[in-house]
Amino acid sequence: MSMATATSSPPGTPAPVRETRSDRIVMICNYTALGLFTLAVLYPLVYVVSASLSDPKNVVSGKVWLWPVGLSVEAFKAIFDYDSIVSGFSNSIVYAVGGALLATALTLLAAYPLSRKGLPGKGLIMALFVFTMMFSGGLIPTYLVVDRLGLLNSRWAIVLPAALAVWNMIITRTFFQSTIPEELVEAAKVDGCTDFGFFWRIVLPLSKPIIAVNMLFYAVAQWNSWFSALIYLTNEHLFPLQLVLRQILIQNQFDPSQVRDTAELIRMKELQEQLKFSLIVIATVPPLLIYPFVQKHFVKGAMVGSLKG
Amino acid sequence: MRAETGPGSVRRRTFLAGAVGAAAAGGTGALSGCGADAAEVGAAPESLTQPVAELGPLKSGVNYPPGYVGPRARRQQTIVTEPATFTVVVPQSLVVGDWAKNEFTRWMEQQTGIRIQWRQVAGKGNDAETMTKVNAMMAAGDIPDAFLGITFTRSQLYLYGAQNLFVDLNPYLERYAPNLQQLMKDYPQARKLMVSPDKGIYSFPDLNDCYHCRASNGRALLNTEWLRKVGLAMPTTTDEFREVLTAFKKADLAGGGKTIPFGGYKDAPLDTFFMNSFLYNAGEPWLAVEDGKVRANYVQDEWREGLKYLRGLYADGLLAKDIFTANEDQIKRYGDNPGGPILGGARVYYWGTLMTLDLVDPKARWHEYATMQPLKGPNGVQVAPWDYLKVGLEVSTLVVTRKCKRPDLLTRWADFQLDLEVILRSYAGPDFRWSVKGDKGINGKQALYGMDSWNTDETKGKTWDQYGVMYRSGDFRLSERVDPKKPTFESPLYEQTRDALYPYRQPLEEQFPPVTLEADQAALDAEIGLNLKTEVTGALAKFVTGRLDPNDDGQWNDYKDRINQIGLQPYLEIQQAAYETYQG
Repeated sequence: MSMATATSSPPGTPAPVRETRSDRIVMICNYTALGLFTLAVLYPLVYVVSASLSDPKNVVSGKVWLWPVGLSVEAFKAIFDYDSIVSGFSNSIVYAVGGALLATALTLLAAYPLSRKGLPGKGLIMALFVFTMMFSGGLIPTYLVVDRLGLLNSRWAIVLPAALAVWNMIITRTFFQSTIPEELVEAAKVDGCTDFGFFWRIVLPLSKPIIAVNMLFYAVAQWNSWFSALIYLTNEHLFPLQLVLRQILIQNQFDPSQVRDTAELIRMKELQEQLKFSLIVIATVPPLLIYPFVQKHFVKGAMVGSLKG
Repeated sequence: MRAETGPGSVRRRTFLAGAVGAAAAGGTGALSGCGADAAEVGAAPESLTQPVAELGPLKSGVNYPPGYVGPRARRQQTIVTEPATFTVVVPQSLVVGDWAKNEFTRWMEQQTGIRIQWRQVAGKGNDAETMTKVNAMMAAGDIPDAFLGITFTRSQLYLYGAQNLFVDLNPYLERYAPNLQQLMKDYPQARKLMVSPDKGIYSFPDLNDCYHCRASNGRALLNTEWLRKVGLAMPTTTDEFREVLTAFKKADLAGGGKTIPFGGYKDAPLDTFFMNSFLYNAGEPWLAVEDGKVRANYVQDEWREGLKYLRGLYADGLLAKDIFTANEDQIKRYGDNPGGPILGGARVYYWGTLMTLDLVDPKARWHEYATMQPLKGPNGVQVAPWDYLKVGLEVSTLVVTRKCKRPDLLTRWADFQLDLEVILRSYAGPDFRWSVKGDKGINGKQALYGMDSWNTDETKGKTWDQYGVMYRSGDFRLSERVDPKKPTFESPLYEQTRDALYPYRQPLEEQFPPVTLEADQAALDAEIGLNLKTEVTGALAKFVTGRLDPNDDGQWNDYKDRINQIGLQPYLEIQQAAYETYQG
């Protein structure tokens, strides 16, 4: 991040002032602290990648601590032997992309009117939204609703109930309030622009940061979620990756005093050791890929939305 | 539908009251499930008027070992001629793959004519999340014809069964389950373990008589190579054991002070081995039956003597420092130590928890470690806790619900799977082989079958792993052929269990059985039980590592006071009542 700000400073800035001794000490301390922090964050990531590329035996025996030992891509190959992992991956993409598009659209549509002064009953609508943040129907009633709507065991059950996060809506509303002044609406109206036209031609183009932030929030939330899939789905072909990943991880957890079959135990252990790290890598790659593209909006969008309220 | 007797319905009401108070999710589930759909479901009357099913003729070409007790391969008829379909909820499994496309599924369909519409639930079938999902389904009245491999506890089966949500299989088992009838003759305890307090049988059971599992809790291993080096024999008493560990420590056979005389890890409790030199102790929930009275071990004076003994070992540095905190990876790291063994012995379930098993090399390190017999304590107590009841028969394998119109067909479908050949297909896959005369099994007698590909990638998508209904008797399990070129650890595990542990087992009557609790009691039992567990395991570690002193009367009495405050008395009363119900 510091690199980004350094390169983005406009050209032609005057030559840097000579640093004093104390400046330099502060700099050194800063870099050391930040460096250590980076290491602390980076190490687990590197470890997981290294472990996924190592021979599972070396991982178990603790020989892997930074770089791969006994390079092997077996684990990645093995993943593709499991149909449920492959289908889980594509399902997760569908849920993340579809869910993000739908949820972002709904969030914008809800947030914009609520950001305008003239909306009648604004306080009541807002209160209703906020009410759902504090109180929810609970698991069984929600399940009943999903069941009676005929969504059970379909992709909609994953995308629809999670389609709007009130928190995101509030951030978005605040963003609109602070970046799209009432005067702009009035000016547009004087020129004969309708509310829809204004939203479509002016608000949306001005709100790219908040759109990007919403997309990222929703996509990541969908990508990481497994509970609604656990509750609403009973068809293996619809399971998202996280649920399959979880399945592999828990199948090895056992109460040793209840072990019925030692041979089965060994098998499960091997499977888990083989797949655990490569699965984590596979599951982390998509969010890692999108993040750099959204990052510049991220700071702008989320901070503006939350701070200037 | 099952005729309801007067007392039965009274009971049902008390249950509902209990359920609402105690188990919110389960309770509401039962209520709406019962109320909304009561009129339209229940077994069709023809379910109980079908001809009684009988055992088919034996298939030839199977070499049963002499005196064999267990499943046999018979010619079985298809169950239906016209297609019948049932909806069954199952756990998702990576080994089974897609249940609908699974090879054994197809085979079963061909053989029985019964089609299954699978609904797969994520989870293992016995974890909290699976049960959350299942409870939600029941609450919404979204109930399948049956659950397969979803582990309801005995108390849950009883709760839902008494509410008529699960079908009482008694009349069906009598008419349509000849294989299960045979199983109950072979295993006289089975029936007692299946019935609920109201005499209902709310699930089709499974039997997996794993010999070495019955002794798992009392197993500890000792390095025989080291014993030879220090010139001592396998210890048989607590004093000899201390002597051996002291010798290991003194000789420092690992070199550089790296020797760990005796290790362990947090998931293999120490008390299930060491306390048995002082009193019979099967481990959590630390209950035993003495002259018909349920006893909690952890407040007995003998337990205190055991703590003193362990405290002594720990104080002298004879137990690993991290014996209460190490996890499985850590103990395995010690076991696999590259330069040579550093562990003198360990409290583990078998070699595989201690180290990576090399099954090919006959000199592999795990061969050096042998099972210890239980140690004789100062008062002559020497017990290997033997699990007669909790290993073997398992309930809740197939649970038929009131949605099912033809429980008779599902009963026959389950009973069909108890046949020897079907069992082998169900969990070993289609590539199993009948053994020829002269093949040796795990127990050294004539082998019955071989299944080299079991549990390998080859059987992925071809078996139901262990989710099917099976009858794996002790003889069945031990008559698996051992490949002389690739022996597994099964034979030594069997032999050492037979020689070092089985002779020291406690009488059956002393074991606290798996009991069934009424809903409100189950909630209380869970709550107090959890608190007791925390206190007992915590105090055990503190007494042994020296944060508390077992020799100090004050500290021991404080500990007992804490246990009583948690509610030992009401807890024992619940268990006593449940035990008496179990005994009938």
